[in-house]
Amino acid sequence: MTGPESDLSTPLYTFQHALLSTHVVGFIIFGVALGAFMVYNKKVRAGILNSSWRKWITAIPTNLRAFIASSGLIQKAILAVVALVVALFIADFTGPYVAHKMAWNQVIGQLLHTRTYGYIAIIFWSLNTVRVRAQSRNSNAKAPSFFDATWVKILGGVLAGLFFAACADPWLPVRFSLSYFKWSGSSDDDFFHHWTTYLWTFCGLLVGVRAALQDRMQRRAVVQSRWKANHIKVSANTRFALYAGALFIAVESPKFIDAYWQETIFQQIGIFCLLAIGLNVVIGFAGLLDLGYVAFYALGAYTNAYFSGALPIHPPFTINTFFVIPIAILVAMLAGVILGLPTLRLSGDYLAIVTLGFGEIIYVLASNLTNVTDGAGGTGTAGSFSMNLPGIHFALSGFAIQDDLNFYYLLLAFIIPILFFFNSLNHSKVGRSWAAIREDETAARSLGINALKYKVMAFAIGASTSGVAGVLSSAKLGAIFPSDFALQVSITVVVLVIFGGMGSILGVLLGSAFIGWFLQYLTFHSFVGYNPADKSMWLGAILILTMIFRPQGMIPSKRRMREFKDAEANLGTADSLGSTTGGVT
Amino acid sequence: MSDATDTTTTATVTDNIFEVKNVTLRFGGVTSLNNVSLEQRRGEILAVIGPNGAGKTSLFNCLTGVYRPQEGIINFHAASHGTVDIVGKPPHRISHMGVARTFQTSRMFNALTTFENIKIGVESGQKTGPIGAMLHLPRMRREERESDHRTLDLLELVGLSHRLNTMADSLPYGDRRRLEIARALGTNPEVLLLDEPAAGTNPSEKLALAELIRTINKETGVSILLIEHDMRLVMSLAERIYVLNFGQVIASGEPAEIQSNADVVAAYLGVSEDEVKTDE
Repeated sequence: MTGPESDLSTPLYTFQHALLSTHVVGFIIFGVALGAFMVYNKKVRAGILNSSWRKWITAIPTNLRAFIASSGLIQKAILAVVALVVALFIADFTGPYVAHKMAWNQVIGQLLHTRTYGYIAIIFWSLNTVRVRAQSRNSNAKAPSFFDATWVKILGGVLAGLFFAACADPWLPVRFSLSYFKWSGSSDDDFFHHWTTYLWTFCGLLVGVRAALQDRMQRRAVVQSRWKANHIKVSANTRFALYAGALFIAVESPKFIDAYWQETIFQQIGIFCLLAIGLNVVIGFAGLLDLGYVAFYALGAYTNAYFSGALPIHPPFTINTFFVIPIAILVAMLAGVILGLPTLRLSGDYLAIVTLGFGEIIYVLASNLTNVTDGAGGTGTAGSFSMNLPGIHFALSGFAIQDDLNFYYLLLAFIIPILFFFNSLNHSKVGRSWAAIREDETAARSLGINALKYKVMAFAIGASTSGVAGVLSSAKLGAIFPSDFALQVSITVVVLVIFGGMGSILGVLLGSAFIGWFLQYLTFHSFVGYNPADKSMWLGAILILTMIFRPQGMIPSKRRMREFKDAEANLGTADSLGSTTGGVT
Repeated sequence: MSDATDTTTTATVTDNIFEVKNVTLRFGGVTSLNNVSLEQRRGEILAVIGPNGAGKTSLFNCLTGVYRPQEGIINFHAASHGTVDIVGKPPHRISHMGVARTFQTSRMFNALTTFENIKIGVESGQKTGPIGAMLHLPRMRREERESDHRTLDLLELVGLSHRLNTMADSLPYGDRRRLEIARALGTNPEVLLLDEPAAGTNPSEKLALAELIRTINKETGVSILLIEHDMRLVMSLAERIYVLNFGQVIASGEPAEIQSNADVVAAYLGVSEDEVKTDE
């Protein structure tokens, strides 16, 4: 396959060695343990096994809460020590990369780093929140506590955040003179060295504000839960913690992998994620099969090339790559509308074929329209990201190894808001209308839903993320070639969506991560007879296996899972290929 | 046929909600509706009956824009939109004007909850677009609240409040029919077309359903056009009845008239040709 990954330089690390030595063994042990646990769990539930320690485990949260809530001096001292140790580890974990990270003396060394004390503040603040909640739950007549007053909570949150910031970075006031915001380099006082600190400072503030607003939010949740019970399975606090944890892992974990995998994460997995999130809107939400999705990706990339003057036709003015992104989004959305309006009257297989044709048209145009796109030889260097504002200077290079991580963070800055936007879209009127059209178009239309409008909308919104992906990818790769936008890329993205679970954002992310990693693993892993050109075969195998063993995908959305069950019971169609259920009766 | 023309002349134009004039619908050589004329008064429960294949559902599909009849006009006198000829209008536009329908075979959105099913109907007329939905803009939040409350009201009206988080496909059959009615009502219709709402329900469910239809008609003032095979239900509910056979209106009038109409009896019981002649 000639996707964007074909331009990768040779591996900088012998990651085969790394994979085979620790990771794989670790994964196998983890998998076996997980399997054993699941079997065990099943047997306990079925009553085959009697477990006493299972009860003990389920009691842990209760006991823990009781422990934290208790006002005894000894408990408090234990908690303080625990908080200190945890804070030390977090501080070391989030600090700049050094050799022997997480080694015990390194961790102890963090005692000298004042960032640690900020973490301690946050941990204590969280524990206090738990304590207040537990107390208010235990006693009906709540004793008026100093910590219960709203103003104390807000003030506490603000102080915790400020304290954290100041602790983490004693030079904070100096840094805010803006002259310190240098983007690249490795000296100790540049922006990137410390930007995660600011991020977690912000999170600290958020924790405080949330604690302050907790009562209000709880009250609202009770009112809503009557009809929102289906959406909120976990409490708002748990969800917040999950989001924060996911963000933490997403930001911090790439610091621990070698440069080769950092590049892979950006170039393969990250771009796949963006593409798959967009295609998920079309396939998963709206139930339309789009096999020409790569066309929008190509349009994004060529838009960037055009505005940076890398094409034979020159733009009236060259603009910064950051400003190309909104233009690329518009171009991709417009292309989605242009493709959608005439074709979306078709359904099922016919639509798939037409979109396939559209993808091929763009590919052939890119290859043969030599005086516009430079043809198969590829364009000149497309614009990369740079910023030159008073106080903020940086230029990311697509070729420099140290910029891989920065590209990754740039990508993250796009993916995370898009995730939230699309998630709320799916749980809004628009998402429900898509579900309605997907399940029964005739019924949906009879309820006043303009099916064509919503389908075109799905095409346009889906296309928008691949416009972004096109710009980011071309900025990283430099020159772009028509072969980057061949049919296989479309197919790969479809496989990502199907493998991960149509309609499920989390599933699609998992699909991108796994298949992105898998393809990369195959490319440079020379086990017997493996040829990188066999990639399509492996993708096909994944697709077939998914279809046989788990057609709804790894992490299916609730709605989709339901549809698959219905399809088995002949209640409706589940795949996006099928025509709308039945004829008009 | 003579009965049908009688009623056309007696009804005054202004208090009609539907006026179907000489509608003919053909599929290739098959004529599904042949010169059908029909009127419904505002606030009336009108029933259309007829043997299988008489063209009742085809008529509904013409009224809701699913089919486009080759001849004739269908005037819809909406309180909000004035008089509109709905022939050739797309179904969603007709729905926005105030025509809602249910289907002969239950067409729920099976993978959605009861609550969501109804909410889709309620919010289809709202203005929130994709940008508002993505960014949680104030209008979107206000409209969400409004549709939540309206949905809860509708659930209560049809008596499904206790099932609001049930998936539509795990509802018992009778409840599904109720849900479909609630979903249609969610679009704020002026006229509600019910296509065999009692099909497949048991006698006690049928009674409850008839009660529900009457309540909806009385309390919300929605006109109801009903297709039904269960004669007892039709006779007890409908104020007037049209009888279709082979795509033509063969009789119309009060339930009592219809019951004693020889053509109707013949159409239903399949009386042989000569017997029909002797009856006349």
